Amino acid sequence: MPFINFATKEINCKIVYYGPGLSGKTTNIKWIYDHIKPENRGEMITLATETERTLFFDFVPIEVSNVRGFKVRFHLYTTPGQIIYQASRKLILKGVDGIVFVADSQEERHDANLDTLDDMIENLKDYEIDIEEIPLVFQYNKRDLPNILPVEKLRADLNRWDRPDFEAIATKGVGVLETFKEITKQVLKKLKK
Amino acid sequence: MLSLRPEEDRKLRDLLTRLNEESKSKIVLLIDKSGQLISRSESPAFSSDDVTFASLTAGNIAASEALSKLLGDKSLSHMFTETEEEGIYMILIAGKYILVSIFDKRLSNLGIVRVKIKKYYREIEEILKAVEERVEEESSIPTEIDVEDIDLDTLFE
Ligand SMILES: Nc1nc2c(ncn2[C@@H]2O[C@H](COP(=O)(O)OP(=O)(O)OP(=O)(O)O)[C@@H](O)[C@H]2O)c(=O)[nH]1
Ligand SMILES: [Mg+2]
Repeated sequence: MPFINFATKEINCKIVYYGPGLSGKTTNIKWIYDHIKPENRGEMITLATETERTLFFDFVPIEVSNVRGFKVRFHLYTTPGQIIYQASRKLILKGVDGIVFVADSQEERHDANLDTLDDMIENLKDYEIDIEEIPLVFQYNKRDLPNILPVEKLRADLNRWDRPDFEAIATKGVGVLETFKEITKQVLKKLKK
Repeated sequence: MLSLRPEEDRKLRDLLTRLNEESKSKIVLLIDKSGQLISRSESPAFSSDDVTFASLTAGNIAASEALSKLLGDKSLSHMFTETEEEGIYMILIAGKYILVSIFDKRLSNLGIVRVKIKKYYREIEEILKAVEERVEEESSIPTEIDVEDIDLDTLFE
């Protein structure tokens, strides 16, 4: 749910990176954090295990000023992908304005992609969020690895709503910005309606 | 969508600032459960990143609420956390918002903070309710915001 303050001229929106364990969600927002101008970002928070797996969430606040003096803040969150953190995953989705589904392109991870997508659909239902309505982008990550599925297969199985999708190599920053720009564009467009 | 008009923002800010002074807190914050910072007291002494603080507070409350549900669907109404020097008291408003006081334990204590919150609780709740009712009536965001103007390319180096 976007929050607008007309006194301080701020608009706040929440964007969540969702996907199976190790698909590269944290890598995406870390890359954004590392490449954004320091004056446009707040502190990055990571609540992770000792092995750098997300335990609860990662958080990066990003601030954009537009010419008419309004400031837009995007709060980027990642969910924990591991199956055992199902309950935490749901909590992060509360009040979400836009979702990036980060899929792992590797063949052996495809079942995990599908299960996680089902889990996301269920959670959205519980919050009474209509998946047809919410801004949503797909990212097929890890395109640099050998054992990957063709994009057509990933698209057919995951992107059932025909939303914009991108191939990515998040560790190298390939496709990361494109994905981020698309989701922010959709979220801002939705504000207008 | 939730929005605050300038007069609503001022009312909330005034209340939180008064609550902050009377309870001798460092800062008082009003946050929504999804982690958005809605308002805060005017407390120049507070130097931490309030946006980040809001997101962590909401996460903390969400986890504790889920825990209490797990223990039998009792609903969570407030929480207290303390560090060596500071107390952090969080209380839910209308099940949707979180009011937080951060105080220095040498200057204030949980008792004072709770009494002062009790004094202002209803008023804050009523403002929020009025805000929700106004938002309900408005359909879309006003034209004064032009999202086309927002240029994401300038964000990156
Ligand atoms: N080869 C390759 N490795 C990647 C890519 N993206 C991420 N990784 C690696 O995959 C591992 C997991 O990445 P994370 O970003 O931590 O994954 P996550 O989705 O946040 O995982 P959870 O927090 O457990 O849900 C790390 O070792 C990354 O370096 C990619 O495009 N290609
Ligand atoms: Mg992670």
